[in-house]
Amino acid sequence: MKYVTLAPYLRNVIPLTLLSTLALYALWPWLPFTREAIAPRTIVFYGFSILGSVMEQAIFPAFQAQWYAQTGEQVEFISSFAGSGTITNQIVMGVPAELALLSLELDALRLSEAGVIDAESWHDLPERGVVNRTPFVILVRPGNPKAIHDFADLTRPGIGVVHPDPLTSGGANWAIVAEYGAGARADPDRPEAGYDLLLGIWRNVVAQAASARSARTQFENGFGDALITYEQEALYDQARGRLQAEIIYPQRTILSEHTLVVIERHTALAQRELIAAFVQFLWSEPAQRLFVEYGYRSVYEELNRANPQFGAIHDPFMIDDFGGWPQAKRDIVEGIWKDRVLQELEQ
Amino acid sequence: MSSMSRPNRSAGNRRGSAGAVAQPSPWLPVGMLIVVLLPLLLMPLAAVFIFAFRGGVGAFIAALLIPDAQFALRFSLLIAFATAFLNGLIGTFAAYVLSRYRFPGERPLNIVVNLPVAIPTVVVGTSLLLLWGPIGLLGRWLDPLGLQPMFTPFGVLLAHLFVTFPYMLSTIKPLLDELETTYEEAAYTIGASRWQTFWYVTLPALRGGIFTGALLTFAHSLGEFGATVLVSGNLRLRTQTAPLYIFAQFEAGNIAAANAVAAVLAALSFVIFFFLLRYTGNGR
Repeated sequence: MKYVTLAPYLRNVIPLTLLSTLALYALWPWLPFTREAIAPRTIVFYGFSILGSVMEQAIFPAFQAQWYAQTGEQVEFISSFAGSGTITNQIVMGVPAELALLSLELDALRLSEAGVIDAESWHDLPERGVVNRTPFVILVRPGNPKAIHDFADLTRPGIGVVHPDPLTSGGANWAIVAEYGAGARADPDRPEAGYDLLLGIWRNVVAQAASARSARTQFENGFGDALITYEQEALYDQARGRLQAEIIYPQRTILSEHTLVVIERHTALAQRELIAAFVQFLWSEPAQRLFVEYGYRSVYEELNRANPQFGAIHDPFMIDDFGGWPQAKRDIVEGIWKDRVLQELEQ
Repeated sequence: MSSMSRPNRSAGNRRGSAGAVAQPSPWLPVGMLIVVLLPLLLMPLAAVFIFAFRGGVGAFIAALLIPDAQFALRFSLLIAFATAFLNGLIGTFAAYVLSRYRFPGERPLNIVVNLPVAIPTVVVGTSLLLLWGPIGLLGRWLDPLGLQPMFTPFGVLLAHLFVTFPYMLSTIKPLLDELETTYEEAAYTIGASRWQTFWYVTLPALRGGIFTGALLTFAHSLGEFGATVLVSGNLRLRTQTAPLYIFAQFEAGNIAAANAVAAVLAALSFVIFFFLLRYTGNGR
């Protein structure tokens, strides 16, 4: 080394200062003098995609306040929200979820088949594990230029329907049963009524997206004339003045039911009491009221009057009307949609 | 420092010869290039910053101060520092071994250590899960012991070490290959041990290369998505890196939150890139 000149000296100092600043920033919360004295207790919660806003903005804070009032302990929620199928796969692969709220019971069944939870363990929870509901509705362009008033109108020539893909989307599975059921219940004497309506709608499907959420993005980007989706998503945006569409309530449609599962093998013994308290909280009146406020329909019918946005449905139905999800998946989604409607459309 | 100039000798030559040949007017092709690059590179990057500041500086800062965003940025930086440090050590060692020793199987090994450049990152994530995950080849035996590296910060680090491994190696090895062995031999003749020679002769010559390689590794780790999304479990405040945060917020429709962090990542990578240019471009 010869002598130090200013320029090369600075050349090293600037990046080194920057890097150490970055390192200090990154390490800050973990430094001994900045750490919180008591580590808060945690709950690891996985939820399907549209749940993110209500859980993070309303349910988690409300439970944190309640638990703090009762015990003086801070609870921190470690959460992740993605498509129901995606989080189910992650849990099968071993993510440390303690609780998961899935968009359909089929995903809970997959978890029990993989040995992650006991078979039908969610049926021991309140309401057989169903935390809240939301009906499937049709979104159309502002002013409803194509005069769409029910599922049957979606079968008219020249209507473009945006639909999520049942292979990857839980919402799409609900939508298919909604479409089939609407047809079957409108004309109960004709066995092919459900199939006809399903086929008619699927003739007009112009775009298939991987999830209910991305189907909505496609619709918002100008694809198609109608989108079949969860009422909650539309109401949530409507309440915030962001909905660039009109909600059409079909005469007959399904109410999707969202199932909670407790993954006991990921919950340490010391956690049991806290987890149980949170599970009970989800079915408590304050929590159910919060769900209603965010556009979900409560499992307690009397609470639903609190949200004037909820539209009237002449003939709402449930998955149990088709014998529950295992049977509906086999008979309707596989037996009719996949084996008959898709075959017919390919010809 | 004189050895630092050697790798850049070719750059100097190129600069010299370009000046000697008379050029036609550059403005037409340059203009065409800019027209092509505008929608491909420049406008998308500009969009990130324009959207980030759309709601005003206050909204931008508020979006950055969300605890999840803060955690994601810090976590990404820590992983990037750890990756750069560890791959700095392992990469330098690998480069030294591959450059200084001749052995059977040298070529295949050379290919293997560079393989991560060509493998899709999502395949890296899958393969790590199939090795260390609870149903994986090794994870199956570790799981009953309560050891579960996947879906933890350690799992994220493993993925980043894998994906960024070749960057260190590919900056150091050419330097070592060009570094004349006569210096090292001279050191041996005056009685220096192999370690002393490495520490006092070889390493100082590699300093710039190590810094460049570490910066490259750091930058790639900061932006890694494909492998991380599979092995992290995407848990906020636990294993959610900044790119995963951006993706999750964008999916949920919180474009402002996603964009604020995206703008910070973009700015950071600009700074890193600037230093890279300084060190490799006119590093003498």
